[in-house]
Amino acid sequence: MTLTINAALYIALGLYAGGTLLALLSLWSRERRLQTGGLWLMIAGFVSHTIWIGSVCVRTGHPPITNLPEASSFVAWTVFAVEIGLFIRYRVHAASFFVYPLVLLLLTITALVHEPFTKMDPQLRSRVFIGHLLFSTLGVAALMIGIAFTVLAYLQDRALKEKRPGRMWEWIPSLDICKRVSYRALAIGFPIYTIGLIAGVLWSYRTTAGLMDLRVKSIGAVVAWVLFAILLQSYIAGSFRGRRTLLVSAGAFVAALVAMLGISHV
Amino acid sequence: MSLLLVGVNHRTAPVEVRERLSVLESQLADITKSLHAQPGVDGASVVSTCNRVEAIVSASTEDVIRLLVEWLADRGGTSADDLEKHVYILRHGDVVKHLFRVASGLDSMIVGEPQIHGQVRAAFAASQELGTLDPLLQQLFEQTMRVAKRVRTDTGIGEHAVSVPYAAVELAKKIFGNLRGLTVLLLGAGEMAELTAEHLSSHDVKHVFVANRSHERAVELAGRFRGEAIHFAAAESHLATCDIVVASTAAPHHVITAEHVDRAFDLRKNRNLFLIDLSVPRNIDPAVARIEGAYLYNVDDLQHVVDANRGQRQQRADAAEDLVLREVDAFRKRLVAQDAVPTILELQQRLEAIRSAELEACLRKLGPITTEQRAAIEMLSTRMINKILHYPILQLKEAADEPQERESLRRTIRKIFGLR
Repeated sequence: MTLTINAALYIALGLYAGGTLLALLSLWSRERRLQTGGLWLMIAGFVSHTIWIGSVCVRTGHPPITNLPEASSFVAWTVFAVEIGLFIRYRVHAASFFVYPLVLLLLTITALVHEPFTKMDPQLRSRVFIGHLLFSTLGVAALMIGIAFTVLAYLQDRALKEKRPGRMWEWIPSLDICKRVSYRALAIGFPIYTIGLIAGVLWSYRTTAGLMDLRVKSIGAVVAWVLFAILLQSYIAGSFRGRRTLLVSAGAFVAALVAMLGISHV
Repeated sequence: MSLLLVGVNHRTAPVEVRERLSVLESQLADITKSLHAQPGVDGASVVSTCNRVEAIVSASTEDVIRLLVEWLADRGGTSADDLEKHVYILRHGDVVKHLFRVASGLDSMIVGEPQIHGQVRAAFAASQELGTLDPLLQQLFEQTMRVAKRVRTDTGIGEHAVSVPYAAVELAKKIFGNLRGLTVLLLGAGEMAELTAEHLSSHDVKHVFVANRSHERAVELAGRFRGEAIHFAAAESHLATCDIVVASTAAPHHVITAEHVDRAFDLRKNRNLFLIDLSVPRNIDPAVARIEGAYLYNVDDLQHVVDANRGQRQQRADAAEDLVLREVDAFRKRLVAQDAVPTILELQQRLEAIRSAELEACLRKLGPITTEQRAAIEMLSTRMINKILHYPILQLKEAADEPQERESLRRTIRKIFGLR
């Protein structure tokens, strides 16, 4: 990867870093202007990020989700796009304390893992494979949003129960909004992720005659799916407030990250 | 042109004086017109709230101040001498600062209260409709609205509830977001509970049930909130359908127990329940707080929220004061610069005329020269004029706030440069 090709990526990374820093500083200073400044930097980073993703698409001729850096970047892009949508709808400031660092972390993985742009093996080009990549990535993005809002719902619930508003108090939206967004992200994301996994199994069967192997990424993906299901179930059953949900969320996050780190399809 | 303000507020006048001067919404137009009709007044507006009455005018001289005090005294049916000890008189930049602070809620009895912004806006709209604003007051009010909005959004000064009923509403919003469509159960008819219910119902809650030992009182209260009176014994059955419960009965025991809430939660499909216990002794069993999805706040809890919020609001107020000062300075500079524009234009035209005439005379004496030489001479003369004008223009733009001082400077510059 040359610097010229990746200029947009590094610009996006710098802007995301600046935006995240301002958002985190606003947590201490409680200055609204810092939050707003952080948001604008993140939006500028998002524009640059979009340009980079577009350039990768043009260069390789396929969606930018075929290796770790591309998938990591695409998840970051999707998560931020959803976050912006949620911000416009609900004015959720607090999500920035989780989403911005997550987006920064994912794009840092992209920038640090130097993998060359490679055109996909023509043998791999199939609707099932593209479907697997796209649905899995979108499913992971929805899971990340669901987890972020689960954490917010937990913090809000504790603050209200213990009557001790912490630093995040004024940035966190109402408990109902946290719960609604989290539930919707999980309810929409789970079937998408399931379709992605089924498509992956089908594709694996087609290419290797085996349903799936026992590589870390496959195990990670299945564990993430199971935890995803448990998390969704806890919302349906109304038991999402407990510490257990928080632990399941953390597990699902790690499993999804592990599954993503193992991506290599080129 | 002078900006002047004469007024009374909760710090300078007792309520007996303020009530005599207060202006009803229906009277605002007539009173603004009457102020505008005073001799020497070019632009006028009246800001009236329960805590203040202020006459804001622009006038060519400050002589109208006495007239304004008399006008105000006349309205209150008192003498100017009697009223004088209660009024404050502000001039020029102080008017700007005062109006910015008032509209931002910094001069209110409860710092940061949100109603004042709407009241100043109403005064602005009324004066605008009546045509009593001259360009100076128009600019002042437009900027006041902008500053007040900025103070609210940048500092978040009005975000923290500083009364118990308002704190209860804020907490309800933290749980449910929008209160529209929620159902409230009012148990008992204590004063604080009534106030809290009033705040809640002003947020478009769907239904208010009122239960009281005296059913007549429940019917009376329900009528006020367009709600429904229910028998006290039936209150428990409503726990399953209500979202917010406000308890304030004189009962010396727990009216709502953990078992009641537990049973209600079996039917609530995990919807949250906010319980506000404003009674002493407490009417809601503290064990209710341990039930998932039930949020119980008693009067002390709410008072703690209020106390913490007061501290935060004061911090925001300090930041807001800084912002207002910066805005006052910017507005003052803009006004002064605008005021100086005609003189600056005349000055530039005068010196340009001299430059052109002298240049032509010089070129005639020189005889034939190249285009480059002509351009060089022109550039030299233009630069000289610009350098000469630089400091006078700067002085005019940065002149003092006082109109008299500005006028004196303008006259001196006009005299020196021979402007008419």
